[in-house]
Amino acid sequence: MMLALEQVRVSIAGVVVLRDVSFALEAGSTVALVGRNGAGKTTTVRTIMGFTAAAGRILFDGADLARTPPHERPGLGIGYAPEDRRLFSAFSVEENLLLPARVGGLGPAETKRRLERAYGVLPEMAELRARPAGSVSGGQGKMVALARALILGTKLVLLDEPFQGLAPVLAQRYAEALRRLRSQDRDITLLITESNPKLLAAISERTLTIERGEVAPGASGPALPRADPPILSR
Amino acid sequence: MNLTIVVLAALDGISYAALVFLVSVGLSLIFGVMRIVNVAHGSLYAYGAYAAATIGIAVAPISPWLTYPGLLLAAIGVGTILGGLLERFLLRLVYGRDEALQLLITFAVFMILDNLQRVIWGVQPIFAAAPLQLLPNISVLGVGYTSYQTLLLPGVAALTLIGLRYFLRHTLGGAVILAVTEDREAATAIGINPNRVFLRTFILGAILAALGGALASPTTSLLPGIGTEMIVLSFAVAATAGLGQIEGAAIAALMIGLARAFAIYTYPEFEVLVPYAIMVLVLLIRPQGLFGATRLRRI
Repeated sequence: MMLALEQVRVSIAGVVVLRDVSFALEAGSTVALVGRNGAGKTTTVRTIMGFTAAAGRILFDGADLARTPPHERPGLGIGYAPEDRRLFSAFSVEENLLLPARVGGLGPAETKRRLERAYGVLPEMAELRARPAGSVSGGQGKMVALARALILGTKLVLLDEPFQGLAPVLAQRYAEALRRLRSQDRDITLLITESNPKLLAAISERTLTIERGEVAPGASGPALPRADPPILSR
Repeated sequence: MNLTIVVLAALDGISYAALVFLVSVGLSLIFGVMRIVNVAHGSLYAYGAYAAATIGIAVAPISPWLTYPGLLLAAIGVGTILGGLLERFLLRLVYGRDEALQLLITFAVFMILDNLQRVIWGVQPIFAAAPLQLLPNISVLGVGYTSYQTLLLPGVAALTLIGLRYFLRHTLGGAVILAVTEDREAATAIGINPNRVFLRTFILGAILAALGGALASPTTSLLPGIGTEMIVLSFAVAATAGLGQIEGAAIAALMIGLARAFAIYTYPEFEVLVPYAIMVLVLLIRPQGLFGATRLRRI
């Protein structure tokens, strides 16, 4: 298993937000985590990143993440694109992509390879590379956040509500980018959260449902039937 | 007001502004990155001054020129050791806590360090003017000025501003600080260790405060309480500029330094009033300071 959550329990300000959440992702799978607003989707991915204190176990590539501080988790090959993009507005788009590589100490060749990979998945990023990150639109920002996640996410990429607030055209492009990623890199594991299960029906191979902090029993079972075109259905 | 007064007040103002800038830019940097208002910053200034004077008195008999590296050594030593200890063992415990609590704790630390300073250095004035006396005097409109105050202090302040700008905009260390300043969680998500950034930033800010004290030490007698005046004035400068504004701190320091100097030459009874009047005026019109931007609070 690439990622396994075992009885993960999270409380924030005395309120239980995740209740004994357990599920596992196989390497190379694309899994949707769907649920209503406030169900615990964002808390789940933030917990995997180490941003919330949690009980239970999170295993990544067989190792318990409890021993890995949050800032070391990206170095394991985990990329994360938050729902609200959270780009660094002080830098250009390309500097946003290069900073993780510089922080991670990647050599020039490896940095170039990963940058090309990100631009390969999101060709429209090439036109934006010199733009200040603070000046891109919300939809473009989502693309940049995905590209940044891909710089470090060589094994697992966590996408938190990537389609939230996207215009239909941009949502279509985003979905196409995910398809390109999947076709270019069959080993990468994707966990995508979304409020609307229909949005991910054509992308994910399996859907987990989270409701009031609980992943529905049997949710880690077989995949939902994969819908063929259209790429994205609303 | 005649030309002589204008020129003399300008020279005094620029010299004083240089010292205030060094201290306030450290305060501003720490606030910008760590969102903590550090009252104990005044102690770092005072300890830098006393440490420089102590080193100066010790090395001057060997060679007065050794007092110059002594100033730098005092600033780096105090900033690294005292600043490092404060951040690692105290401030780290209060990050993200209520701002009033942070303020009270750093104020308590300031009082403790002030008392400790009296224990270490006593209450008698200490004066170590060798660095000042080594440089030649310059005559301006018939008044003798030391080039230490007219050239060296503004020069160091200008180099510090240029160096900080370069560091923040053109180095990985600076980029990492900017990233943590903007969004700590997003920075962590790309592999940055925010605790390490906090420690390094605090030490950098502490070195700047101690450097201000070290450079001020040859120009004045050191007495208990020297940190108090400087921290209050530095707050005025940082608040006027907008907390977290590096270039703004330079301009605000110049504004306040010049206004204070002109007050001394024209209405000396308003010397203390003028800097704070400027601060109040600015904050009433622009609560975020002259160069500060309003921040959206994430909910």
